[in-house]
Parts: sequence; structure tokens; C-alpha cells
Amino acid sequence: MEKIVTRHFDVPNSYLLETYLKDNGYAAARKAITQMTPALVIDEVKKSNLRGLGGAGFPTGTKWSFIPQTNPKPKYLVINGDEGEPGTFKDKYIFELDPHALLEGIIITCFAIGSHKAYIYIRGEYVKSLQRVQAAVDEAYKAGYLGKGIMGTGFDIDVVVHPGAGAYICGEETALLESLEGKKGFPRLKPPFPAVVGLFGCPTVINNVETISCVPPIINKGAEWYAKLGCEKNGGNRLFCVSGHVVKPGVYELPNGTTLREIIYDHAGGIPNGRKLKAVIPGGISAPLLTPDQIDVKMDFDSLKAIGSMAGSGGIIVMDDTTDMVWAAMVAARFFAHESCGQCSPCREGSGWVYRNVKRLYHGHAREHDLRNLPGIVNNIGGNTICAFGDAVSMSIGSYVTKFRSEFEAKLVKSEYAQPNH
Amino acid sequence: MPNLIIDGKQVEVPAGTTIIQAADKLGINIPRYCYHPALPVSGNCRICMVEVEKQPKLQIACYTPVTDGMVVKTNSPKVLEVRKTVLEFLLVNHPVDCPVCDQAGECKLQDYYMEHGQYDSRLGDVKVKKEKKAFSIGPTVMLDQERCILCTRCVRFADNISKTSEFGVFSRGDHSQLDVYPGKKLDNSYSGNVVDICPVGALTDTDFRFKCRVWYLSKTKSVCPGCSMGCNITVEWDKMRPHQHKKARVMRLKPRHNPEVNDYWICDKGRYNYKFIDENRIQHPQYNNDLISWDRAIDVVTDVLKPLKDLKRTNRIGVIASAQLTNEDLFVIRKFFKENLKGSHVDFRVPQKPGDSDAFLIKADKNPNTAGALNILQPDTDVAAIIQKARAGEIDLLYVFGEDLVSQFGKEALYQISKNVKLFVYQGSNVNETCNYAHLNLPSSVYAEKEGTFTNCQNKVQRIWPAFSPLAEARGDWEILALFAAKLGQPIVYQHSPEIFKDIAASFPAFSEMTYDKISDKGMVLKA
Amino acid sequence: MFSAEYLKELDKIKNKYEQPRAALLPILHFVQDKEELITPEAEKNIAEYLGVPVVHVHEVVCFYHLFTLKKLGKCHFSVCQTTACALRGSEDIIAYIEERLKIKPGEVTSDGKFSLGLVECLGACEIAPIMQCNKDYVGGLDKKKIDELIAKHR
Repeated sequence: MEKIVTRHFDVPNSYLLETYLKDNGYAAARKAITQMTPALVIDEVKKSNLRGLGGAGFPTGTKWSFIPQTNPKPKYLVINGDEGEPGTFKDKYIFELDPHALLEGIIITCFAIGSHKAYIYIRGEYVKSLQRVQAAVDEAYKAGYLGKGIMGTGFDIDVVVHPGAGAYICGEETALLESLEGKKGFPRLKPPFPAVVGLFGCPTVINNVETISCVPPIINKGAEWYAKLGCEKNGGNRLFCVSGHVVKPGVYELPNGTTLREIIYDHAGGIPNGRKLKAVIPGGISAPLLTPDQIDVKMDFDSLKAIGSMAGSGGIIVMDDTTDMVWAAMVAARFFAHESCGQCSPCREGSGWVYRNVKRLYHGHAREHDLRNLPGIVNNIGGNTICAFGDAVSMSIGSYVTKFRSEFEAKLVKSEYAQPNH
Repeated sequence: MPNLIIDGKQVEVPAGTTIIQAADKLGINIPRYCYHPALPVSGNCRICMVEVEKQPKLQIACYTPVTDGMVVKTNSPKVLEVRKTVLEFLLVNHPVDCPVCDQAGECKLQDYYMEHGQYDSRLGDVKVKKEKKAFSIGPTVMLDQERCILCTRCVRFADNISKTSEFGVFSRGDHSQLDVYPGKKLDNSYSGNVVDICPVGALTDTDFRFKCRVWYLSKTKSVCPGCSMGCNITVEWDKMRPHQHKKARVMRLKPRHNPEVNDYWICDKGRYNYKFIDENRIQHPQYNNDLISWDRAIDVVTDVLKPLKDLKRTNRIGVIASAQLTNEDLFVIRKFFKENLKGSHVDFRVPQKPGDSDAFLIKADKNPNTAGALNILQPDTDVAAIIQKARAGEIDLLYVFGEDLVSQFGKEALYQISKNVKLFVYQGSNVNETCNYAHLNLPSSVYAEKEGTFTNCQNKVQRIWPAFSPLAEARGDWEILALFAAKLGQPIVYQHSPEIFKDIAASFPAFSEMTYDKISDKGMVLKA
Repeated sequence: MFSAEYLKELDKIKNKYEQPRAALLPILHFVQDKEELITPEAEKNIAEYLGVPVVHVHEVVCFYHLFTLKKLGKCHFSVCQTTACALRGSEDIIAYIEERLKIKPGEVTSDGKFSLGLVECLGACEIAPIMQCNKDYVGGLDKKKIDELIAKHR
């Protein structure tokens, strides 16, 4: 398999400009600016079937084409490096090991959408990433790859590295914009969408780190090549993050469309200690659980949607048969309760309520109506909120209750409130 | 202009109108917490969700602009279900404080719950505890963080209307707490307004705390007499339980919506300036140190007035009217003194202490009817001259309407006046120092006891309605003059204020074609 | 008010942004790195400097997990408790730290040397269970590693 995003990871000092230049570094940016037009670049990316790798899987080229070129306001590119989706840790590697690939992708993207200013929003905990990326930006400015008239062309571009400060919700694109503007990470009401009214009220594209890092290879080697690498409607490879009960947790670059079974067993070494698989989260904590009978699913956006889950951020968390699923639901519910921004009532009150309910079930303090009510409460959050966080709570926690109902019921039997004839 | 259908009813509205605004126009009241017509949209409560044809998900009505041909349902089963859902979520952590909460009876949680709630409660959980309960955040407002549903109306008010930014929501999730900035107090000139806009009992009025259950309150429309802005208000009063309130009738004032005058707001001074309606009133006619009957009081006045009229010595009459009086009062003063007692010196322009003002509602002129007094009395003398004459013994009858001359001219001047004027009459509603110098004190009504009109600084004529009859033996200002007129054989034939206003409209071009009906409760501007 | 030297650094940050308020988060990081916490005085100065009402600066400080209004231990453990780490024993690690240091999450040891906080996913699930020890990521935690860390910072 041809490595794309991870191609430099094993090279010593891969993050330095001099190393990056040795492998055709910034050639794609030069090609795009001097030999192509913005429209051509967008077209190429569209044809490549590159889809957003932060979680939503939106076709990248299409997103770029939403920027209204006749709007006189300045355009912005914002890189979403908030990487907070539990089970996801891939962007960290790009930041630390190949920041120049990201910068080159930024240049090409800005050229395509008519932007001259990009912000790289990196979650505040990623201290090393912030340092590495800032160092790369400094190198790039010094060597004329960023700034005024880069690489001897007439194209101006500025890049600012911006830290988050510990809030998962800032991974939601409009919450990220609010955070960038110096406010609490409260997602915005939509429409208008960021392509029309985004950062500072101007047209903005927000893309994930990995997505943008795929752009230079696409320009260098062509859309057709990239599209062929993946599967239909989902081109290229992606970085799958595997964690939990596996022998070799880590980041694995594999083609879109690889099966989950292959990823867990052939690449991540399968389940340690001779245990069996019980459940697996396929795309970050927001993705509904899959059971062992479902792991032959192809890991691409459309296939996972068809099976009732989502490809999401590519964060695969594996649970073996020692896992108490009510406990796992509690851990997930606790995450949502802690990270709810609190802006709208269903999520704010509902996420806390669900957590307390599942916690009671787990600790054996629940009454029969707690389990009877739980699915209804969980369901009521999604679909009624300002952003997809509410939907994530519903889908995620809902999948535990639906697929492992018997474990929840067993907790009732053991509950201190259990009726004798239960 | 887009044309749409809401619940089967058609309505046409300007482009950019939201569904909730279009529904309001039709009189269809979609429930709302965070939406307020005077504040930027927040869209966080989610209770205004409605069904829009061709849209798979429900949409919030406060934020969705109408489109031509849109079909909206505000009470379909889906919508009713989601309202139950949102209410349930809001009640998860809401303390059931109703028995001790001032908001009860005008609480949007109660109201919508009675209409839409899920009566089989599923709430068996311990509620999230928050830091501040029954906490004073300033001189006028108390905060209860647990009752707060985080609609952020108060935050948006402080940021956009009072522009004082005291409020914020701190922390996140269901531990979010509304508060003022630590150490800061809610102490701006418009602080009381946040109590009006708070849909629940999170922000309550300290002045009104535990005073009166709102279902005992009667409401009467009026206009604040505190300054020339003439903010529209409702006087809210209870007469059924005087034993509870030490005989006070008015419990509170609330601003009344008038988009051209005060919008939804009122300043704190105006809001809390109602105690004088019930306290410290002049209750009975008093002649020197004796309480007398009205009959006797009428004689006291006419005994001095009649000879002055007959002997054509009306230039020895001085009248200090007031811009606190209604147009109707002033018109009768004009008729009685300037026209029927030609030669009397009539003015109202007492020296004013410079009053505070701001760029919003507070005006430096602390009188509600200066424009009316100017137009109707058209004075050709001045108050200082009248006072001078009175001190010098050139005035036999000095008639003062409600102005506290001691504070304006000093005790020495008033002493001289009381010595050198034959009959010094003070006709007013509340006791002040001037009463000590007047020979005859006559109790008159306050604005809340009158039917009449004020003319504000925008030259807008606005109506006031009487909430109740005058206290004790007080009578309306023009009604008292009618008593004298009757005794003098020149009856003033008015029975009620509307008749007076008819004559005002007939007599002054600025008021021409105005009627009480046309003025209604929104006001009408004088003709240029 | 900030010193002239401070202001120079703050200006460098602020000038990167089209609107001054956007500099709020990096400036809060800068101030907290220097002073270990965000004081009311700092909030006031930052609010003035950026032209933002101070209540909204305080909202931001209270909203984001990485800002602190009170002094933490010299060595602050932020232990991840989300799914991947939980599956690999974070609960035991947390219990062990509580036992060794005799503090609960949110508390500081009486000598001011250590404090403990529980956080959600730090984005290093491949080396779970993990924590941030001050700013450093420490993975593959076990009792031995915890002992070493405590010894190192004692």
C-alpha cells in the first residue's frame, strides 16, 4: 500500500524544513499557484473524492466551492486541530512529524478558495504540537514559503497558530470559530454556514488537519490516482487510530474501505490475553457501537452509515469480553456530560441526566423506571439541539442501551431497589 | 412581501421576518423563553420549535425567516411532543419553589407546563445544586441560580440595552451558572428591567419580594410622571387585602410596551417611584392647624376670590401651576383663572434643579407634562415675579398646585409669603414643607387616581387611566376648581375628563382632531 | 495595568489577529504561564487591553478547562478517564494516586507540591492510560511510573 500522509513519519527529523524539501517539498504548492487556477484546483480535489477526515466526511472539493467568490470580504481558511474525539490521536502525528505537509496543503487550499490568511487551531493540551507547528511556520516564513509573494510568485499568505484551551465542543466548526474569536465555544445557529458567514463574519472554510495534508499529494500525483486508492466515493487512505483492548494500539494508514476486522486483527494485533471481542467503537466516541458480527464492514463513510454507525474521526476503540457495557456507557455518558457546552436546554440538562441515570444503574442504585425511561430520555436529546453534539449523545449512548440491553437489565436485578419478583 | 400560512391562517409580512414574529402578528402565541423582540436572537431554549412543511426536522421559530409559500404548523402532534420534551429537560434541575417564588402566577415554566407539560413526571433524580440562592446581586434584584433556565435574556439585555455588561454564564454543561461578575453589583439605572424579562423566578425584584401574589393584582394603564419621557407603565395594585400591605394599594409598577416611547423598558427611578401614591398623602382639607370639611374649605377660598373678582382686583391673584398636572387640569386652571379671572398671574415654570439625564430614557426635565403646560397655559408672566409680588404683599390669593416652593425659594421667602399674602392655598397630593407655610392645604389626587393626558418630550399626548378613587378626602385637581366655580355661580360644566379634552382639541390647533379614542394606549403626537 | 514589557509581548500576540478579542485565548495562556493562575486583577487588565467587558473574559476563563482561577500543585496530574484509558486501567491509576497523595480530584496537597484533576480524552489513546504531568504527556501509566513521578517532583 502506498503511504501518503504517513510517508515521512519514520524519517529522522521529518518535521524540519530541510527534510521536507528533500522529498519534493512545496512543489505541489508551486505547481498549483504557477500552473493552475483556483477553479482547477477545486475541481481536482473534487475529482479525488477526498472527504473530510475530522468526522463529518463532507466532500472537500464541494465544501471549497461554497465560498462565494463575488463576496468582497476577505476569505479565511481555518484548520481544525482540536482533535478531541475520544479514540482519535492522528492529527497529533501530523503536527509533530510532518507539519510542513500541512503548511503546503494550507497554501494550496488558500489559493483555491481565494484566501490569504489561515489559522491553525490546535487543542491547548497538545503542547508539543503547538511548538512543532509554530517552529515549522517560522521556518517557512524565513525561507519564503509563507508571507508576501511566496516562492517568488505573487501570492501572499499568512498563517497563525492558535491554541485552544480544553473544550471538546470546540471541535465543532462553528464553536471553533467562536473560540477563535475569543469567546466561549458555543456552536452557532445555522444557517448562515461558515462558507458565507464564518470567521469574523467572512467566508470561511474549516477543514481537518489530515484532510488538508492530503492535498499536496493530490496536486502532485493527480485526482485519479487518489480516487483509485480508496473505494467508490471515498478516495485515498486515511489514518485509523486503534486503541483499547488491542495488542498494538496506534495509528495505521490504510485505504478507505479496509474492513474493520482487518484493521483490528491484521494490523493492530488483535485482542490480547486470549480474550474475545465484545464491542467496538468504529469512529470516535460519538459513533454507535458495533458488535462482533458487524466487523466485516468496510471502513468508509457510506458503508458505515449504511450499517447504522459512522466513520467519524477514524477513532477505533476495541472492547473485549471483560468489559461491562453498562460501565462503558457510564464512561461515555460522563464524557458527554462534562463536555456539553450548556448552551441549549436538551443537551445541557439531558447529558447530565443521562449520566446520572446510567451511573445509578451501574452502581446498583437504579429503580425499574430508570431503565424504562432511559431510552426515551436519550432519544429526546438528538434532533432538538443547536449542534450535532446532542445527536452524538443520543446515537452513542442509545447504541449501548439497544445492543446490550440485557446487561442493563441485569444491573436492575442486582439493584438495591430490585423487587423480589423481578 | 412573503405570504405564508401558519396553522391554516394566511399572513403577509416583510422579508426577513421570522416565523415567531409572523405568528405574533396573527395572534398565534408560540411558546418562548430565550426569544425577546427587543434582544438579539439566541435560539437556545428550543421550545419555539415548529413544523415547517418540506423540512424533515423541526425548526426554531425565533430564528427561521419566513419564505413565500411557507406552510407552518405550531400545534401538530410532533410540535406538542417536542414542547413536552423541552419542558421536561428544563424541569430536570429546576427547584419546585413555586410556593415561595414570587414569579408564581406569571411564570413561563408554570404557564407552558399547564398547557403542554408531561404530567406523568419522570423526574426522580437529585437536582444539580448551584451556588447562589436568594442572593442579592444589587440594590434592586435578587438572584436564584437554581431557578435559572439559562435563557441568557439578562446577559443580552446587559450587553445590548443597558450596555453595562454585568451578567455572564460561567462554567459549562448543567453546572453552568448565571451570575454577575464576581464582586460586581447589578447597579445601573435600568437594573429592574431584567426582572421583567426573566421568564422564571431566577431574577426577582427585591422591592416586590414576598409582597403580594400576582393573582391578587389589578392592572391599570398609565404613564410614569417622573420625567418628560413619559414611559408607558401599568400600575399594579391590590385593594382586597389592605391588612397585608399596611393599607398601601399600589404594589408595583411595570413598564408597558410602546415602541415609540420606551419600548419595553423603564428606568429604576420611575419603576420604584410609586410609594408616594399611598404614603405621606394629604388626606383632609386643613385650614391653619384645623382639619375642616370641603364645604368650609370652599368657603375659605371663595370668600377671598369673590371680592377680588367683583372689585376687579384680579391682578392680586397669583397662581403657580405645575407641569406635573394633566392637560385637563391645566385647561381648567386656564379657564378658571386666566379667562374667568382675567388679570391673575398664572405660570408653572418653577426653578428646576438640574436633573440627571442619559442617552436612553432618562430626561433632565423631571415633569411629565411640560409640553402640555406650555401649549395650554401659554404663560405671559413668570413664577419668580409672582413670588416676588407675594413676598411684597401685592398678592391677596396665592394658589399653588403641588410645587414644593420651600425647596425652590427657601424658608425665608415662604415665611414672608405666609405673612404677607391674605390667603395662601396649597393644593397637592403629598405632604411637604410648603404645607407648613400654606394657610389652606387641600388634598388632591395623584396621577394614578386620575383620568387625563400628559404630553411628553416628543410632544406625544398619552392617556392615563385611574386605578382607583382618590385616597381619603382627596379630589382631582380640576374637580376641586369646579367646586369653587360652582360656588361662584360660574359652573364649570365638565363631569368627566374626556369632555375637557374635547374642548382642548377644539381650542388649540396643536391638539386639533385628537380624541381619547384615537390616542388610545399608544399616544398621538401634537400637530406642528 | 500591565508593565511595558508585558505589553510588548501582548501586542505581538494581538497583532496577529484581525480583531483584538481573538487574541484572548493565547493571551490568557501567556499570562497563566507567567503567573500560574488567572487573577481578578489579570482579568481586569486583559479586559481593558482587549476592549472586552471583564465579565466575558471571566466567562472564557471559567469555560475552558486549561485555565485555572486558583493555584494548582507544583506538579499537577491531569489523568484521562475517558473510554480508551478507562479500558486500560485509568480507574486503578486514579485510585492509586489518590491513595499515595491523600488527595481527591480537585484538591492540592497541603505542601502545595501536587494536585490532581480528572480530564477527558487527551488524544494519546495509543499509550493509554495517560496523564498530563503539568504539560508533559506521560503514557503507559502503572503504579511504578506513578511512584517515579511522585518521587521526581517531591
